[in-house]
Amino acid sequence: MGLLDVQGVGIAFGGLKAVQDFRLDLPKGALQGLIGPNGAGKTTLFNLLTGVYPPDTGTVKLGDRVLNGLKPHQIAQAGLARTFQNIRLFGDLTVLDNVKIACWSRGWTTTLDALLRTPRFRAEENAITTRSMELLQIFELDKRADESARFLPYGGQRRLEMARALALDPKVLLLDEPAAGMNPQEKVALRNLIRDVRDRFGLTVLLIEHDMGLVMEICERITVLDHGVVIASGTPIEIQKNPAVIEAYLGASPVADASPGAH
Amino acid sequence: MSLASYGKPASPAVVAVDALGPFAGVAVLVLLMHFVIGPAVGPYYAKILVDIAISIVLAVSLNVVNGFTGQFSIGHAAFMAVGGYTAAAITYFGTVKIWGGLPLVHADPQGWGLFVVGTVAGALVAGLFGLFVGLPSLRLRGDYLALVTLGFGEIVRVLLMQTGSIPDPKVIAEAPLYTLPLKLGGSLGFGGVPTYTNLFWAWLWAGLTLVIVYRLKASTHGRAFLSVREDEIAAEAMGIPTTSVKVRAFVLSAALAGIAGALFAHELGTTLNPKELGFQKSFEVVIMVVLGGMGSLSGAVLAAAVLTVLPEVLREFSEYRMIVYALILILVMLVRPQGLFGIHEVWELPVVRRLLGGRGPK
Ligand SMILES: Nc1ncnc2c1ncn2[C@@H]1O[C@H](COP(=O)(O)OP(=O)(O)OP(=O)(O)O)[C@@H](O)[C@H]1O
Ligand SMILES: [Mg+2]
Repeated sequence: MGLLDVQGVGIAFGGLKAVQDFRLDLPKGALQGLIGPNGAGKTTLFNLLTGVYPPDTGTVKLGDRVLNGLKPHQIAQAGLARTFQNIRLFGDLTVLDNVKIACWSRGWTTTLDALLRTPRFRAEENAITTRSMELLQIFELDKRADESARFLPYGGQRRLEMARALALDPKVLLLDEPAAGMNPQEKVALRNLIRDVRDRFGLTVLLIEHDMGLVMEICERITVLDHGVVIASGTPIEIQKNPAVIEAYLGASPVADASPGAH
Repeated sequence: MSLASYGKPASPAVVAVDALGPFAGVAVLVLLMHFVIGPAVGPYYAKILVDIAISIVLAVSLNVVNGFTGQFSIGHAAFMAVGGYTAAAITYFGTVKIWGGLPLVHADPQGWGLFVVGTVAGALVAGLFGLFVGLPSLRLRGDYLALVTLGFGEIVRVLLMQTGSIPDPKVIAEAPLYTLPLKLGGSLGFGGVPTYTNLFWAWLWAGLTLVIVYRLKASTHGRAFLSVREDEIAAEAMGIPTTSVKVRAFVLSAALAGIAGALFAHELGTTLNPKELGFQKSFEVVIMVVLGGMGSLSGAVLAAAVLTVLPEVLREFSEYRMIVYALILILVMLVRPQGLFGIHEVWELPVVRRLLGGRGPK
């Protein structure tokens, strides 16, 4: 059994079965791709895994722990971190504070420590700042640490989403279209970054991405969703040859823009 | 700001100054107000300064909810009333029970201890009410809090109107304690509350409120508050229990409003009256927060001072005050919805930074 074990998870919005009977067994250290046409249900699956929507059916397990029924913040603390397709940074706060916020649940001081500025409080604040700056360095954002997050360029905001998610010290990282809106150079850098971060932090990564070049190059295995159903699963080469996948992509209307809720 | 000290280990002296300095600052401010500024400006201006301090406590405390966590509470005066009546009941009935006879109208140092107890109790009881109001309503999304706080404000006002008149000292002396909270003066108000509130107490509590709330804002716990306001879904995804954070903010805010109420109740020239602490008062505090900036403490202080002085300066103005406030609110919402300073403190604004010769804008 893998680290992230998803069994028969599904949800329907009214009559629309957004995700049905989804199964996935991610071993520790895996870098797995999740692709599919617009509106296939990829983001919805992330929302199911992270507790934004409670699944109608199925179970999600992280290691030995069943995540069903937990609140999103409990799931995050349990080790499942994510980024958002339509960026959800804390825009008015500084780049550094965005990352520091994710360190909160690992903190050890009480509010009273903060009010009295005890040595414990200083130690924690220093530790959090140091760690956050390290993460920002990895994502080449350290120079802009005290700017408001909203002023970062698009690519920078995507990288900050990843840095912030990593500050949770997660076991599994869910990336929702991290390359969207990036220019070609940024995409090349991102490719290496995702692999580096996976190796460095011993992460398990599930990656949603529309950029096929990126997905095919870095993912070891790929799962394909279409209309909420898994239509194929395998290595990049197997997926590229799979007739059902080709059909799904060619058959899908090219501008079927989904209008999802909580991305 | 945290970047400046990043990585450098601080010496014990720096640690101590950082921890205790602001309290020393408050002490200096309080002594200055009480012994120098107060006597220099005379009783009329001293009262305005006391009013400003109370407004600061109110605006800064509401900022914790409306500014930091981005929820919209419009019943702050009700928590002020709860704190004020609690404190007044303790000092008034307490004086009779302990020393016999009516409380002196003017401050009597003998009762200061009772006043402190009353103020703290006012904060605790107001905080408890905050818990009861916040717990159910903050679980729900959207505008429920505004509705619930509005309703709560009315309920408190009506209940206070229904209380019986203040009994005679002889009756008080013999009455069992639990009967007294039902005799708070009704619609006529709680008359004869000893007037302990002066520059010393008002600025002491204002200073402490500022230190507490500022330190909160600059800590992990405060950042958790801010994340809720910025994006609740993202905050949850980063491990922040948003509901419990909101409830905590609400309780703290209510407790601090209770302190403001206690100060108001014991002020010379005010009557503790349900009518005084109705929606109009709540609205005034909301204006202070919106004007100063949602989340900005220096902005709240500035707005509190200006909106306290303005009605004094422009006598005619006070007649039309609510109209003007409503206009201000609409104007700010249209032109600068984040308020004068937004979430930032005055000294964090690029313009001010440049003036101070510090790090320029980036
Ligand atoms: N909260 C919701 N309420 C109703 N329908 C929803 C909700 N969230 C998603 N959907 C629908 O579920 C389907 C799957 O949407 P989802 O956002 O998961 O697709 P996706 O695979 O992430 O697409 P994209 O590649 O465009 O991001 C869509 O038809 C979408 O409209
Ligand atoms: Mg999506």
